[in-house]
Amino acid sequence: MLIKRITIILLLSFVLYLFIISIANLSDIYNSAGKDFFADNGFYDTGSLNLVTAIYLDYRLFDSLFEAGILLITVSGIMWISEYNILTKNAPLMLDKQKTSELFITFSRLLYPIMFLFGIYIITNGHLSPGGGFQGGAIVATAVLILYYIDISKSMDVNKLLNIEKILFILLVSIAFISLLTRNEVFTNFVPLDGSTELKSIYLILLNLIIGTKVAIGLIAIFTVFLKEGR
Amino acid sequence: MNPILSFIVILIGVFGLATSKNIIKSIFCVSIIEVGTILLFLNFGMYEGGSIPILNSIGIEIVDPLPQAIMITTIIIGSTITSLGLMLSVKIFHHYGSIEWKTVLKRDI
Amino acid sequence: MYLAPVLFIFIPILASLVVYLFKNKFATYMLFVSQLALFIIFFLYLRALQTSPELSLIVFGGWDERFAISFFNDRLSLILIGLTIFIMTMVLLYTFKTNQKEINFLFFLMFLQGIFLGLLQTNDLFNLFVFVELMTVIVTILIAYKKTNHSFTAAIYYLLLNAVGAIFFLIGIILIYYVYGSINIQYLIQNMNLHSDENLIKLAFVLMMSGISIKAAFFPLFTWLPRAHSVAQTSISALLSGLIVKGALYMFIRIYLEMFSKANYNMSEFFFYLGAITAILGVVFALSQNNLKQILAYHTVSQIGIILMGLASASELSYIGGLMHIFNHAFFKSLLFLGVGLVIYGYQTKKVYAIRGVFKSMPWTSILLIIGMLSITGAPLFNGFISKTLIKYDFKDDFFKMALFTVVNIGTVTSFIKFSQILYGPKVAVLKQNNLTQLISMSLLGIGCIFIGIFYISIGQLVFNTDLSYVKIFDVRQWIEYFTYIFIGMIIYVYVVKKDFKPFKILRELSVTFENANYMFILYMVFISLLMFFR
Repeated sequence: MLIKRITIILLLSFVLYLFIISIANLSDIYNSAGKDFFADNGFYDTGSLNLVTAIYLDYRLFDSLFEAGILLITVSGIMWISEYNILTKNAPLMLDKQKTSELFITFSRLLYPIMFLFGIYIITNGHLSPGGGFQGGAIVATAVLILYYIDISKSMDVNKLLNIEKILFILLVSIAFISLLTRNEVFTNFVPLDGSTELKSIYLILLNLIIGTKVAIGLIAIFTVFLKEGR
Repeated sequence: MNPILSFIVILIGVFGLATSKNIIKSIFCVSIIEVGTILLFLNFGMYEGGSIPILNSIGIEIVDPLPQAIMITTIIIGSTITSLGLMLSVKIFHHYGSIEWKTVLKRDI
Repeated sequence: MYLAPVLFIFIPILASLVVYLFKNKFATYMLFVSQLALFIIFFLYLRALQTSPELSLIVFGGWDERFAISFFNDRLSLILIGLTIFIMTMVLLYTFKTNQKEINFLFFLMFLQGIFLGLLQTNDLFNLFVFVELMTVIVTILIAYKKTNHSFTAAIYYLLLNAVGAIFFLIGIILIYYVYGSINIQYLIQNMNLHSDENLIKLAFVLMMSGISIKAAFFPLFTWLPRAHSVAQTSISALLSGLIVKGALYMFIRIYLEMFSKANYNMSEFFFYLGAITAILGVVFALSQNNLKQILAYHTVSQIGIILMGLASASELSYIGGLMHIFNHAFFKSLLFLGVGLVIYGYQTKKVYAIRGVFKSMPWTSILLIIGMLSITGAPLFNGFISKTLIKYDFKDDFFKMALFTVVNIGTVTSFIKFSQILYGPKVAVLKQNNLTQLISMSLLGIGCIFIGIFYISIGQLVFNTDLSYVKIFDVRQWIEYFTYIFIGMIIYVYVVKKDFKPFKILRELSVTFENANYMFILYMVFISLLMFFR
C-alpha cells in the first residue's frame, strides 16, 4: 500500500519536473496576437468596455449558448435521476429536522433584499464593470436560496422551473439568430457595426438578463432537488 | 512561480484520485483538479504590471481577456459535473448502503 | 444553404425541446419529420458543396478567422455526419414503440444527436471541449436511465474518468494558445511547424493525447467501456458502441493525424503497437465472458484497436481502411446489439450457455445475427472484409505485424463461434414483441452490410475518392484464408475455451477499481512523455 503511494508520488514529481523545464523561457515564447486583437478592436466592434463580456457575448456567443444548454441538461438529468413515485410536491424538506437559530433568521431577512439587488446590479452592468450574466446569476441564486432558511414551508415547483428554463433557452437562441436578418451574419449583435454604443448595449443588457435569469433558475432547481431528495 | 503552484494543485488532485477509496472523495478530487486548471489558465493569461481588461482609457496594457472568458464557461461545466456526480452517489447510497468503491464495483456476472 | 451546418445542430435540439414542452404522444411522431428534414438538408448541402466549395467554412459573426468560432466541413466530417443521421434514425425506429411515452428519453436522445453533429463540424479547440463535456453529461444520464444498481455504478465510473480526461485536454489547449495566439484548428494545422520544437508544445501534446486516449478507450484506459456498454438499455448500447466512441476517434484523427502532422514527433509506431495490444487484450477478455452484452462490449474494444492499427500506418490505403472500418463497425455492431436485445428479451436471461435454439424460435432475428457475425469476422462478400484487407495493405511485407493482425482475427472468429452456440438446438417458447419497426431497422442495417461488401468499388470512388481495386473478393486465396481461420477457431474453441480453465475464470472476474484506473492513467502519461522528451 505504501509502496504504491510512493511510486505515485515519484511519477507525479517527474511530470512536475517536465512542467518546470517547459516553462523555463516562458516570457520569450509568448505570442500576443490574441491580446492585441482584443485590445484594439474590442470596443469598436461590440460596444462594451468590459472586454471579457465582449468575448463571451459577441465573439464567442456560440460557446455561451451551449453553456446555457449544459445547465439545462444537467437540471433535467438530476430531476429524472431523483424522481420518486409519490407526490414530491407535498414532501417536507430536510431542514425541518434542524432548528435554525433566531439570530440567523433575522439576519437573513435583512440580507436577502441587499443580496438580490446586488446580483441584479452585477447582471445589468456586465458590459461596463466586472461582472456579467453568469456571475450575477450565481449571486441571485444564492440570495433566493437564503429563503429556504427563513421560511421552510415554501418550496418551488421544480417542473414549472424546468419549463421556464427551456422557454428561456429557446428565446436565447432566437435572439442570437436575429442578427441574420439585420447584418447577414449569425450569432452576433443585431445592431449594425456602425450603430451607436447605446444601441449596441441594448443587446448586451438583454442577453445578460436572460442568461442571468437562466443560471439563477438552474442553480435554484438543482438545490431544491437535492433538498427534496434528503427527506 | 505561480504557474508551478497551480500545476502542483492539479497534481495533488490526481494523487487524490489515485488513492481514494470513497466515491465522494473522488468527486471532490475532480473538483480540485478543475480549480487547479482555472488557476493555471489565469496565470498563463497574466502579464506583469498589466491591468484588468476593462478599457477605461485607451493606451494602458491589459492582460489577455480570452482565458478569463473561457474560464467562465469552465467553472459552470465543473459545477454541473460535481452536482451530477453527487446526485448519483446519493442514489448509490440508497441502493447499496455504502459508498466505497470496493463494495459498489462488484461485477454483474 | 449557407446555414446548413448550423441547421444540423439546431433542428434536433429544437425537436427535442418541442417534444418536452408538449408532453403529447402525437408530438413524438414529429421526430421522424425532423430526421427526414436532416436527410434532405444533408443531400442538398452535398450537392451545393460540389458547385461552390467556399460553403465549407462558416465564421460566426464575420470576425477575423483566427479569433472567432468557425465551422469547417471536409470529406471526413461529412462522411461521419451522414453516418450519424442514419444510425440515429435506425435507433429511433427500434426504440419507438417501447419508448413513446418516455418523453425524457426522447428529449435526451435528440439533444445528443444535435451535440454530436456539432462536435463533428467545429473548427475551434475550446468549442470542441464544450461539446465533449456536453456529450459526457448526456451519455451519463442515458446510461443511468434504467435506474438499476449496476447502471448507477457504471454511470459514475464513466462520468469521473471521462471528466478527468476532458480536463487534461483543456490544459493542453491553454499551452497551445500561449504560444500560437489562436485556437482555430485549420490555422494551427497550417502553422504548427513554427514552434513545434518547444518543450511546452511537447507537453501540450502529451496532455492532449492522454485526454483523448481515455475517451477513445485505448489500452490501459478502456475499463469504463465494458461496464457502461453492457448495463445500458439495448438501444443505448447500440448507440454508444456504434457512434459515440467514433467521436473520440474523430478527435484523434483531427488532433494527431492532422494538427500535429507537420511537427515531426514520430509517434506512429507507438500508436500502432498500442492498437495491437488493445485489439489482442479485447479479444482475450471477450473469450472469457459469459454475458452476451459484455462479449459484444469487449469486441468493441478490440475493433477500436484494429481501427487504430489502420489509422496509425504510413500509407494512404491503410488510413482509408481505418476510416472505412469506423463506418462498417457502426453498421455491424449496432446490428449485433439490436439483435441481441431481442434475444435477451425473449429468453429473459443474458448468459451464453443458457440460451439455445434461437435459429428455430426466432428465424428472422437469427439470420440478421448471422449477417452481423459474418461481417465482424471479415468474411468475403460482407463489409468487414473490405476494411480489414485495406488495413493489412501497409504491412503486407512485415511478418511480425501481419502475425499480430492474424492473431486478432483468429481470436475474433473463435469468440464468435462461442457466441453462435446460441443458434443451435431445438425450438423453445420465447416472449415475442411483435414489433415491426424493430425488424425493419435491423434489416436495413443488415442490407447495408451486404451492400457495402459487394459494391465497394463504386462506394470507394464516390465516398472516399480512392480506387479500392486492391481488394478482390473473388480471389481464391482470401476464401481459403477465411476458412482456415474458422477451422483453427473451432479447434481452439473445442479444446480450450469450452473446458473453461482456471485463467478464464480469473479473467472473467477481473474488475479494475477506480483508483487503479487512475494509476494506469498516470503510468500511461509518464510513458508517453518519456517517449516524447527523451528520444
